[in-house]
Amino acid sequence: MRPSIFAASGVLLLLATATPFADRAQQPPVNSDARLLADFKARVNQYDAIRKKADDSAPPLKKTEEPRDIREAQQGLVERIGAARAGAKQGDIFTPEIAALFRRLLRPEAKEKDTKAILKEDKPSRATISLKINGPYPDKQPLATSPPEILLKLPTLPKDIEYRFVDSYLILRDARANTIIDYIPNAIS
Amino acid sequence: MHPCRFRNALVLFALVAATLAAAQEAALPNAADSLKFAIIGDSGTGSSSQYAVASKLAESRGKFPYEFVLMMGDNLYSGSGPKDFEKKFERPYKPLLDAGVKFYASLGNHDNPNERFYKGFNMNGERFYTFRPKLGVRFFALDSNYMDKPQLDWLEKQLAASGSDWKICFFHHPLYSSGGAHGSDVQLRTLLEPLFLKHGVDVVFAGHEHFYERIKPQKGIYYFISGGAAKLREGDVGRTDLTAKSFDTGYHFMLIELVKDTLHFQAITDQGRVVDSGALQRFSDVDKKKFAGITSP
Repeated sequence: MRPSIFAASGVLLLLATATPFADRAQQPPVNSDARLLADFKARVNQYDAIRKKADDSAPPLKKTEEPRDIREAQQGLVERIGAARAGAKQGDIFTPEIAALFRRLLRPEAKEKDTKAILKEDKPSRATISLKINGPYPDKQPLATSPPEILLKLPTLPKDIEYRFVDSYLILRDARANTIIDYIPNAIS
Repeated sequence: MHPCRFRNALVLFALVAATLAAAQEAALPNAADSLKFAIIGDSGTGSSSQYAVASKLAESRGKFPYEFVLMMGDNLYSGSGPKDFEKKFERPYKPLLDAGVKFYASLGNHDNPNERFYKGFNMNGERFYTFRPKLGVRFFALDSNYMDKPQLDWLEKQLAASGSDWKICFFHHPLYSSGGAHGSDVQLRTLLEPLFLKHGVDVVFAGHEHFYERIKPQKGIYYFISGGAAKLREGDVGRTDLTAKSFDTGYHFMLIELVKDTLHFQAITDQGRVVDSGALQRFSDVDKKKFAGITSP
């Protein structure tokens, strides 16, 4: 390459890269996964705030000798959350972009031998569970054990919000209200 | 042989066999100042088998006055409404509850985590918790259905703070098992065993498998599976290299006594037959450090 062409190419390259660098200087460098995870966390925290507000209302879910009190407090919580989240729908927390990220995180781990073994144990069948947002997780069905390696790969959740599996669906479950907050269809297959 | 002589010989043989069996069956010391407790696992069916085990459990307290019962999870199958608590817990164990015996529950995959708010399970409103019923002995109840980072961090902190106490963990899924239907939970073991070794856990009790199995000591830790207090999976426990003793042809519960550095145990059927018993010496700190790969400077 002749020196003049070499110099011109260098100038062009500088010009081509100058604008993006200027933009990046104005905006903090955030990769897209981190942005999606931050978005997910914000949406979950928003739910947690609703739940806390609902939980603070009477009758609270607290230690008791009466199983009836637990059931009534749980039911009351379901109603208050339902009212506060009226109109909530699948995908409000697991947006399509967040769901795609979760699938990408989950699928390699779900193929691991030990993870597969846990997922196939005592799992509730999809047919037995109506996946309704704000709806109950059926009391008579077992809760599939969440493989620890998967839990360690996913973002940590606030207390009493948990990841559970129903067949290949990933459920976001409220453990206090025993309700389904959101879900990702075919998260692991 | 004359029929009468034959019958006498049979009676004599039966007597000798029974005496030999009784001699082999290690009796519990029943010492005045020891810690005595019982274990039931996978108990909450509300079936006649649960009631039969519960009855024998209550009867055994007449001779062996244990203070509390550990529950290995699946405390309430198929529902957790008020009637479930009554039929699957309060009624079968009424004589014990009336006598002031405490039950400490861990959660199984058939349990609603809100069982933790029920005072009768003494979980203090938490999925995982610790308690020290006597100076020198500490228990850690874990939720093996949901072993997330907050629980692992909590366990590490609590184990580190527990000093030289006996450290006894109990939870639903067994880390080692010869069960055909479930087997060892390898992933859980990968996470928990290093913590157990690092902090010198002595004994681990689990359920989930509907049989009894005593595992050969693994890296200085004793493991028991006791998940047959109402459910039974006959023929499921294969004899593997892990097995010290197993039993899967009847329902059972366990009685435990800690006397200084020795754990005495019995596994007893709903018919009152002792199917396993013995005394296990707690591993020394030096041995535990060796198993954990910690070398002295």
